[in-house]
Amino acid sequence: MTGAKRLQGDKLTEAEAIEQAKQGDAEAFEALYNLHKRRVYSLCLRMTGNTATAEDLTQEAFLQLFRKIATFRGESAFSTWLHRMSVNVVLMQLRKKGLPVVPIEETTEGEEEGTVKKEPGAPDERLAGSLDRLQLQRAVDELPPGYRTIFVLHDVEGFEHNEIAEMVGCSIGNSKSQLHKARLKLRELLRANRAEKAGKR
Amino acid sequence: MNCLEFERILPEVLEGGHTTERQAHLNSCPACSTLLADLNDISVQAKTLADSAEPSPMLWNAIEAQLRSEGLIRRPTPPPAPWFRRWQTAWLVPVAAALAIMVGIKLYHPAGAGENEQPVRHIAVAPGETVRAVSSEDQQFLNTVATRRPARQAKYRADIDDANAFIHDAEQAVKSNPGDVYAQQMLINAYEQKQMLYDLAVDRSSLQ
Repeated sequence: MTGAKRLQGDKLTEAEAIEQAKQGDAEAFEALYNLHKRRVYSLCLRMTGNTATAEDLTQEAFLQLFRKIATFRGESAFSTWLHRMSVNVVLMQLRKKGLPVVPIEETTEGEEEGTVKKEPGAPDERLAGSLDRLQLQRAVDELPPGYRTIFVLHDVEGFEHNEIAEMVGCSIGNSKSQLHKARLKLRELLRANRAEKAGKR
Repeated sequence: MNCLEFERILPEVLEGGHTTERQAHLNSCPACSTLLADLNDISVQAKTLADSAEPSPMLWNAIEAQLRSEGLIRRPTPPPAPWFRRWQTAWLVPVAAALAIMVGIKLYHPAGAGENEQPVRHIAVAPGETVRAVSSEDQQFLNTVATRRPARQAKYRADIDDANAFIHDAEQAVKSNPGDVYAQQMLINAYEQKQMLYDLAVDRSSLQ
């Protein structure tokens, strides 16, 4: 179905919508927007943690896409093209605001080792039972911006480390290492949230 | 292998790099085993965040407005305005009538009619029908038609009334929305329609 996604209630395939959008057809633009808006907006929201900024960036990403749609020749999947463009828009915004795209090493000092805290008498409960999407979403929003970027790009968006390294301007090894730290940080946040909830009961 | 050593190679383990030594540690250490399971769960659950949020319904309006301002969206052809709909078919009527008159003038032109032009005659108007005022140019046109094809005079009067009403409606539409290119085009069409009626009258000399 990837090559012939049906849009507008089975009236238009994605490929047809792209061709019609190249001719300036408003409905085709809207159909493409509707197909990809959640993915692009979610990416922007997860990476910035701010709804207003995420909407601005979503708008900018789609505008860039539509301005360049005439140059789209299908060398890569349309969605890949759009998401790469969206990531670039977000990264540019983060850089403009002076927010770290790559995690700041100093903030992780002392966290790299000894993550497995031995708590005598405390049960080693798995997160699984208490890990739902909303909690994870909240924890991702609490991540420091640099960690958040790497985590979202890899674990949420599915980019490979070599792609992330190219996009954010770091080494592949650094991307791997920061992703691991981001996951550990998330686990810490999730466990803390769970403990806080348990304390309130 | 102890816990610290296991932590160092944890990223590899998460990517599937299991060995018997690592597995032995996992089997014997609930803390490391739980850690590995949690990180796997986080990674799996993360994929559900990919399209978890919905932007404001207003966002498309903003994007569309910007695309229009940049000329990337071509102006859609609007549906005909109510005032125009009745002209869509009426447009053909005066054209057909004009053509019929032209042919009639050619076939039935009475000799010497040019010297005996009659003043405009009373035109019968159906009850309830509005009698529209005509300009002196229109009157002259009708006078000319009356001499060529008296039987069609009423029809031509109706055509002129239609053309004038079309112009009036189009002018109103343009006045109320000066930027509406569609209304502007309709006004041009209305003038062209009337011009055609006049052209036929002018051509009478060549048909004589």
